[in-house]
Amino acid sequence: MSYELIATLMFSTMMLMLLTGQRVFGAIGFVAVVAALLLWGDKGGFDIGFSAAMKLMKWYPLLTLPMFIFMGYVLSESKIADDLYKMFHVWMGGLRGGLAIGTIGLMVLISAMNGLSVAGMAIGSTIALPELLKRGYDKRMVTGVIQAGSSLGILVPPSVVLVLYAMIARQPVSQLWLAGIVPGLMMAGLFIAYIVIRCRMNPDLGPVLPAEERDIPRAEKMRLLRAGLLPLIIFAVMMIPFVRGWTSLVESSAIGAIAAFVAAVIKGRMTREVFENSVRNTLGITCMFMWIILAALAFGAVFDGLGAVKAIESLFTEKLNLSPWTILILMQLSFIVMGTFLDDTAMLVIVAPLYVPLVGELGFDLIWYGILYTITTQIAYMTPPFGYNLFLMRAMAPPEISLRDIYSSITPFVAVMVFALILVMVFPGLATWLPDYIYNQP
Amino acid sequence: MRGIMFGYIRVVDAINHRIGRIAMYGIFILMGILLWSSISKTFFVPSLWTLEMAQFVMVGYYILGGPYSIQLGSNVRMDLLYGEWSTRKKAWFDVFTALLLIFYLCVLLYGAVSSTAYSLGYWGTEPFSFFGGLITGSEEIGRMERASTAWRPYLWPIKAVMVTGLFLMLLQCTSELCKDVLRIKGETI
Amino acid sequence: QSTIKWRMQTYAGAALAEHVIDPAIKMFNQIAGDRMQIELFYADQLVPTGELFQAMQRGTIDAVQSDDDSMASPTEVTVFGGYFPFGSRYSLDVPVLFNQYGLNEIWDEEYSAVGVKHISAGSWDPCHFATKDPIRSLADLEGKRIFTFPTAGRFMSQFGVVPVNLPWEDIEVAVQTGELDGIAWSGITEDYTVGWADVTNYFLTNNISGAWAGSFFANMDRWNELPEDLQTLFRVCCDQSHYYRQWWYWGGEANLRVNGTKMELTTIPDEEWATVEAKAQEFWEEIAAESDVKRRVVDIFKQYNADMLKAGRPYRYG
Ligand code: NA
Ligand code: NA
Repeated sequence: MSYELIATLMFSTMMLMLLTGQRVFGAIGFVAVVAALLLWGDKGGFDIGFSAAMKLMKWYPLLTLPMFIFMGYVLSESKIADDLYKMFHVWMGGLRGGLAIGTIGLMVLISAMNGLSVAGMAIGSTIALPELLKRGYDKRMVTGVIQAGSSLGILVPPSVVLVLYAMIARQPVSQLWLAGIVPGLMMAGLFIAYIVIRCRMNPDLGPVLPAEERDIPRAEKMRLLRAGLLPLIIFAVMMIPFVRGWTSLVESSAIGAIAAFVAAVIKGRMTREVFENSVRNTLGITCMFMWIILAALAFGAVFDGLGAVKAIESLFTEKLNLSPWTILILMQLSFIVMGTFLDDTAMLVIVAPLYVPLVGELGFDLIWYGILYTITTQIAYMTPPFGYNLFLMRAMAPPEISLRDIYSSITPFVAVMVFALILVMVFPGLATWLPDYIYNQP
Repeated sequence: MRGIMFGYIRVVDAINHRIGRIAMYGIFILMGILLWSSISKTFFVPSLWTLEMAQFVMVGYYILGGPYSIQLGSNVRMDLLYGEWSTRKKAWFDVFTALLLIFYLCVLLYGAVSSTAYSLGYWGTEPFSFFGGLITGSEEIGRMERASTAWRPYLWPIKAVMVTGLFLMLLQCTSELCKDVLRIKGETI
Repeated sequence: QSTIKWRMQTYAGAALAEHVIDPAIKMFNQIAGDRMQIELFYADQLVPTGELFQAMQRGTIDAVQSDDDSMASPTEVTVFGGYFPFGSRYSLDVPVLFNQYGLNEIWDEEYSAVGVKHISAGSWDPCHFATKDPIRSLADLEGKRIFTFPTAGRFMSQFGVVPVNLPWEDIEVAVQTGELDGIAWSGITEDYTVGWADVTNYFLTNNISGAWAGSFFANMDRWNELPEDLQTLFRVCCDQSHYYRQWWYWGGEANLRVNGTKMELTTIPDEEWATVEAKAQEFWEEIAAESDVKRRVVDIFKQYNADMLKAGRPYRYG
C-alpha cells in the first residue's frame, strides 16, 4: 500500500470514528496502531503503541499537567474566587457594562493561577453568570465574555498548552510563558474595549448597577480590594523562584498546587466535598489528556515513519514555491479550519509536530510562533462544533441559555481574537519584548 | 447471557472504581516528591531519584486511573452528530467503534507484555509463552533491564504496573461494550 | 526488482546529525540508487533512545547509530560504550582498540548473542563539562545536576555530581528551566553545534575521556538479507562517517577553545585532577569484577595504555 494511501486512510478513519462519537484517544490510537501494522508488519508494528507510553513517561514537563489542573479545581471548587468577584462587582458596577468588564478582570486573575480554561469557565459560569443575568445583562454577551475570558487561561502563565508547545518545539517554557503575558493582557484589553463600545452603543446590554447596590462604605470597598492580593501571592510564590532559576518547572508547578491548596485551607474553604471534587476531577481531566497524548504520540511516530513532515515541507516550499509569510498564514488558517472539526488536544499533539519544524526552518522565531499558536488554539477552543470551552459552557450554563445562544455569543469575541492574532503577527515585539527584556539583560 | 453481562459489569466496574479511587490520591505523592526535590535541592544535595520517581508515579496515576476516568465520563467525545442521537442509536455505533478501541488496547497490552518480558531478560518473540514458562519453570529470568540513569532502577516494576493498568482498561472498555449491547436490547443501565 | 528500504535512527538530534551521520547516509543513498535507500530518523523520532535496542531487535527499526550505553543495550559491553572514564585519550585510540586490540571480536560475540549485527565502531568527541557556573576545583562539582552518560555518571557521582538522564533533545531547555546545572556529554564542538553553548557559560578543559566509542548496528535478519556488495557499501559509508568525525571533532575542539566566544574556559589543576584519574583505575577494577567479558575488555584497556605509555611521545606525555 502506498504511503499516501495509508496517510489518507488514517485521517479519514479517524474522522469517521470521531464523528460517530468514539472517545478521542480510542479513535487516534486505533488508527495509529493499524497504520503501524500496515507499515511495519507484525514484527515492529505491535510495539509502536506501547513505545509511545515509554516516550510519554520521559516527557517530564507533563508532570505539571495534574498540578495546574488541580490548582484550577481547588480555586473554582473552594469558591476562593467569590471574594474576587465581589471585589470587581463593587468596584466596577457603576460603569455601563461594568460587571462584564469586571468579569474579564476576574478571568485575568484566575488565568494567572491555573493552566487551562476549566477553572475560569467553572468560576465564570457558577459565580459571575447568574449575577450578571440577574442584573439584566444581555445573556449572549455575558456567555461570550466568560468563554473568551476563560480562554485567557492558556495564554497567561502558567499555561499547559504552552508547556505542550514547548516540548514539541523544544523551546524554554519560561520564555514562552513570559511571552504570553503582554498578548494576554492586550487581548483582555481588547475584550474590555469591545464591551465598552457595545454598551455605549446599546446601554441595555449592560445596565449600570442600581444606586442602592453601589452605596457601599469606602472602608468596605478597600477591604474587598485585598481579595485581589491572593491570586497575586499564589502567582508570585510559583513564578518568582521559577524565573529566578531556584526551582525547576515541575517543582514550581507542585509549589503552585500546594499554595492554592494551603490558601483554600487557610480561608476555611477546603471542605470534604471540595477536596473530593478537586481530587476526582483532576484525575479525570489528567487521564483524558494523557491518554489522548499517548495515542497521539504513536500516531505522530507513524506519521514520521511515513515521512509526512518531509512531504509537507516539500509541498509548501518546493512544489508550491510559496513565501515564508504565505506559508505561515496558510498554516494558521488550516489550524483554524482543523480546529472546527478536530479535537483541540489531538490537534495540538498531531499537527504541531508537522508544522513547528517547518516554521523554524522558514526562519521565524519559535517563541513568537508559540504565542500565535496559542491564540489560534484559543480560537479553536471556542469555535463550534468541536471546542473544549464550548463543551464546558454547555455543561455548566444555566438552562435559560440555549445551545444557539452559546454558539452565537462567541462570534464577536472570535473576531476580537483574530484581530489580536493579526496584531501579534504584525508586531512580534508584543510577544518577544518581555522574555528578551528579562533574559537578555547585559 | 443477560445475567452474565450484568455480573461482569458489576464486578469490573467495582474493581476499577476501587483502584481508581486509590490512584486518584497519587497526585499528593507526586506533589510530595516534587516538593522534596525542590527542598533537597535548595538546602542539601539534589536527590538522584526524584524526577524519575515522579515519572513513575505519574504513569501509575494516569494508567491505573484510566478505567475510573472512563466511568466518570471524562473522556471527550465529539458530539456534533452523536449528541443528537437516541440512546439506542448511540449504543449501536458504540458497539462497533468500541471493538476498534478494544483492538487498540489489545495492541498496547501486547506491547506492554513483551516489553515487560524484555525487562526480565527475555529477547524472543513470544512473550506470553515466556511468562507461561516462568510459571512452569521452563524459562528463567535473565538480564534485568535497568534505567540508563545513575539511580538505575529496575524497569520491570513500572512496566508491570502498565500491564496491569492496560489490562484493567481493557476490562473496563469491554464492560462499556456490554452496557451498549444491553442498551440495544432495551435494558436500562 | 524493488528498492530495499531501511529505517535507521540515530541517537543524535538534527543539528548534530548533520555532521555525525547525514553525510554518510546521503552518500550511501546516492551510490545505492534504486537498489536501496536508507531513511534516517533523529533522536526519539520513531522510538525513544532508551528503546532503540529493543526496536531494532524486533525490526521496527532496521539500523541504529548509537553508543551502547545510551541505547541501553542488554550486553556485557554496554558500560564501555559512550564515555568509559579515562578509557581513551585521543580519538585515534578507539579504532586502534577495536581493530588491533581485539574489541571488535568481543563486540561481535556479544551482539550476535542477542540477535543484532555490530557493524562498526568509531570514535566521537571527548567528554568535558559545560556548566552555568564555573568549575575550578573538584569541590565545585558538588551538588551539580549534570546530564551525562550512564556509566560516566556512575563514576562521577563519587565527586558529588548528580547525574541526570533526559531525552537528548530536551537538554537545552532543561538547562534553561533549571532541571540541569550543566552537561558532561560532549566536547566543545558539540556544545556549539547543538546550542548548549548558548545556555551554559563555562567549559572545563579537563575531560573524563578523550573520545567516546559509538557504533553502527543492524537488525540481524535485515543485514543477512542484504546482497554482499550492499553490505560492503554500508561498511564503507560507516568508515566514511568515522573518518569525517575524526577531523571534524579534532579540528573543532582546538578551534573553538581558541576562537570560541560563548564559553569561558576553566581548568582544575593537574595535581587535583590526578585524584580523579586514580579513582578511575579503581572504578575499572570494580567493573572488571562484574563479569568475565568485562574483565577481558578492561585487560585490553590496561594493555593498550601500558603500550602507549612505553611508546612515549607523541602517544603519551609523562
Ligand atoms: Na494560565
Ligand atoms: Na473548535
